[in-house]
Amino acid sequence: MLELVRDVLRWADLGIFVYFVALNSGYLILIALAGLEFAKHLRRMPFAGSDDMFRSPLTLPVSVIMPAYNEGPGIVAAVQAMTALRYPRYEIVVVDDGSSDDTFEQLRTGFELVEVPRVVPDDVAYRSQVLAVYVARANPETLTVVRKTNGGKADALNVGINLSRHPLICMVDADSVLDPDALLSVAKPFGDDPLRVAACGGVVRIANGCKVIGGRVVDVRMPKPWLLRIQVVEYLRAFLMGRTGWSRLGGLVVISGAFGVFRRDLVVEIGGLDPGTIGEDAELVVRLHHHLRQRKQDYRVIFVAEPVSWSEAPSSLRVLGRQRRRWHRGIAEILGKHRTMIGNPRYGRIGLVALPYYVVFELLAPFIELAALLLLPLGLWADAINTGFALEFVLVAYGYGMLVSLSALFIEEVSFHRYPRWSDLARGMAAAFLENFGYRQILAFAQVRGALAAVHGRQAVWGVMNREGFDSTLESAGSLHRVP
Amino acid sequence: MQALFTIVLEILLAIVAGTALGIVLVRLLRRSRQRRQARLAAGPRRSLLAFVADNGEEGSHDLVAIPEDAWRAAEPHALALLRKLRGEAHLGLVSVFLRRGTARTALGQLHSRSPVRRARAAQVLGDLELRQAVPELCRLLTDRHDEVRVVAVRALGRIGDPAAAWRIIAALDRSDPVPSLLATHTLVQLGPEAEVTLSAALDHPQARVRAVCLDALGLLGATGSVHRIARVLKEDTHLDVRIAAAAALGRLGTRGALDPLTLALHSSRPPALRAAAAKALGDLGATSAVPTLTALLTDDAFHVAHEAAHALRHIGPEGLAALQESDSPHALEALALAEVLTERKAGVPA
Repeated sequence: MLELVRDVLRWADLGIFVYFVALNSGYLILIALAGLEFAKHLRRMPFAGSDDMFRSPLTLPVSVIMPAYNEGPGIVAAVQAMTALRYPRYEIVVVDDGSSDDTFEQLRTGFELVEVPRVVPDDVAYRSQVLAVYVARANPETLTVVRKTNGGKADALNVGINLSRHPLICMVDADSVLDPDALLSVAKPFGDDPLRVAACGGVVRIANGCKVIGGRVVDVRMPKPWLLRIQVVEYLRAFLMGRTGWSRLGGLVVISGAFGVFRRDLVVEIGGLDPGTIGEDAELVVRLHHHLRQRKQDYRVIFVAEPVSWSEAPSSLRVLGRQRRRWHRGIAEILGKHRTMIGNPRYGRIGLVALPYYVVFELLAPFIELAALLLLPLGLWADAINTGFALEFVLVAYGYGMLVSLSALFIEEVSFHRYPRWSDLARGMAAAFLENFGYRQILAFAQVRGALAAVHGRQAVWGVMNREGFDSTLESAGSLHRVP
Repeated sequence: MQALFTIVLEILLAIVAGTALGIVLVRLLRRSRQRRQARLAAGPRRSLLAFVADNGEEGSHDLVAIPEDAWRAAEPHALALLRKLRGEAHLGLVSVFLRRGTARTALGQLHSRSPVRRARAAQVLGDLELRQAVPELCRLLTDRHDEVRVVAVRALGRIGDPAAAWRIIAALDRSDPVPSLLATHTLVQLGPEAEVTLSAALDHPQARVRAVCLDALGLLGATGSVHRIARVLKEDTHLDVRIAAAAALGRLGTRGALDPLTLALHSSRPPALRAAAAKALGDLGATSAVPTLTALLTDDAFHVAHEAAHALRHIGPEGLAALQESDSPHALEALALAEVLTERKAGVPA
């Protein structure tokens, strides 16, 4: 009997090892594809025609939708930064989702809002009540603010979609800081390939630690806490490289709600965002794939790596854990909701490659990670494996993980090199090493809780993310901090 | 098994160390290259700025005499400058590029096997506004790489030779056509002389071609084509084309556009077309359209009523008076917006 247990443990440990190798190999392939994509992008920069697009009177106008819930400290600076984007024609629709703080008052005084009796169309359904619509006295056709009862982010976005007037909609978070050319870059694919591009995601980087002046990130720096530095590396690997790789494969299923542009008509056609899903941004993209594949339409969902949107990342383990729990719950819900697509050849690469990958290497990863933490010591205790083997097992598994992160840093250094300081480079490399010791395991625990919450259908809780906000004056400079 | 693990671990550690070293090396090499390029480009950049400041009258010989490696380092800056310049300074800088053989090299590179080189060459020829390059650029409109075709269209627009119009139109009639908005912009850049070609293309069998030509005619202000456009609005089989015709008529702003647009508002027409026609009447600014638009304020189709209200706002005092008499929510919205806009225009403080 004991021998059987030993055999089971031995094989289980080996299986986990194979899983880790496959997982990291998957990442490495995506990073390599991202590297190819960046090389292509950089070679084409001189004739990309961004300036022509900026000057053309025919460039598709964009409605930037910014849902805001208790964003009082930073909302004015965030909207001001949006109004300074380099794009020929766009409007900003801020949706105050029943904030209990002074978000609306800040907006009202900051932009001299005037109430207008706007008729809200019901192009997409929403479940809350629109209380009033305002426009900025100085820019009535550029800035609209909607006050509504609280209904969640997806509901706020749906109201914003209804009030948007332009053929492209860009969803951004109220705490996002966009590079000046970010909108131009993300909207450009729609002009270049208008018949096929259905959605385009932009990359999100971490703003903590960077110097922000007048709503612009002017000096990119690594944040001080190691928890944030590790997240910087993680964002590079998973968001920048991973999504670019998926985009090249034609299998992009996640566009961050913090920065993504969609064709309005298609979003309306599929009924807008689903307020019942916690990962509403990714769910929208998967539903878009679902819809367009069913219609057998030739379409593209793509990702552009530069310029970027900068967002505030959680600097405490507690808030980070909550965020990851939510994200993982979102993945579980989306995969559950669209399970008929998984492995279904009707949905092409999305059904056969992207979604199965998400099941095996995203949804299950934290379970396997925690299983490894349990089974490896158990194998040692039961004498199924010896100490040398266990040690080398761990070193190879985590060493490969570290190689993946370093490869992401390498590609970043070759292509965009946004962190100019040598000290930041060293910190990035150290973070690639440190993330394997504690960080991954703690987050795996949070992710498992998120997935289980989705299975049990527990009430989704967003939790509080306190913000200090960005600098609100053009003259002052400072770093982004979060309230402790 | 353990021996295998040991070997794998050793290889892995070597790769990890190599990658870390690679990151450092890449940064060192890039910085060293950037320093070298900056050093090389410093002199030519000063000469370029002096040349431009002098409106291209003095210093062209100095620029032509700059050694090749230094010019290469400064060339991106020179090209960026070229795109921003107009008049004598532009012509002067173009002449410098021509004397340096840039156009000859670019024309040669249009035949390169690399799509990136072909596209870059097309971009340079467009920046130089070199008319002799038009036939070669037109040839690139059928290039197998879409990015090359896109750059060629853009370059043709910058050069502005109306002879390219029919080739650009033909590039729209492919299974993988050039983007419609880009083609429209380029056709507009070709100027009024392209009107005849554009007007003739309104009979093209491809709906996309007709829609692009309509947009271009509207933006060009091709008032001579009003009747042809009106016929398209009335008879075309594609809704998108008819919508484009309505928008074009609105942009043209001539009296002849009024009747066809009013006819397009009929309740038997699709709501999207009626909304476009209402908007176009607002762009037209014809006060005689006020009664028709007023009747639409209570239309069942949201977008028709919405566009009618805002069209009345655009028309001016007569339109605003009609809005004031209506209790339609769309009218209230348009009035409120008109009030804010008027206040802003008058600089009334809050």
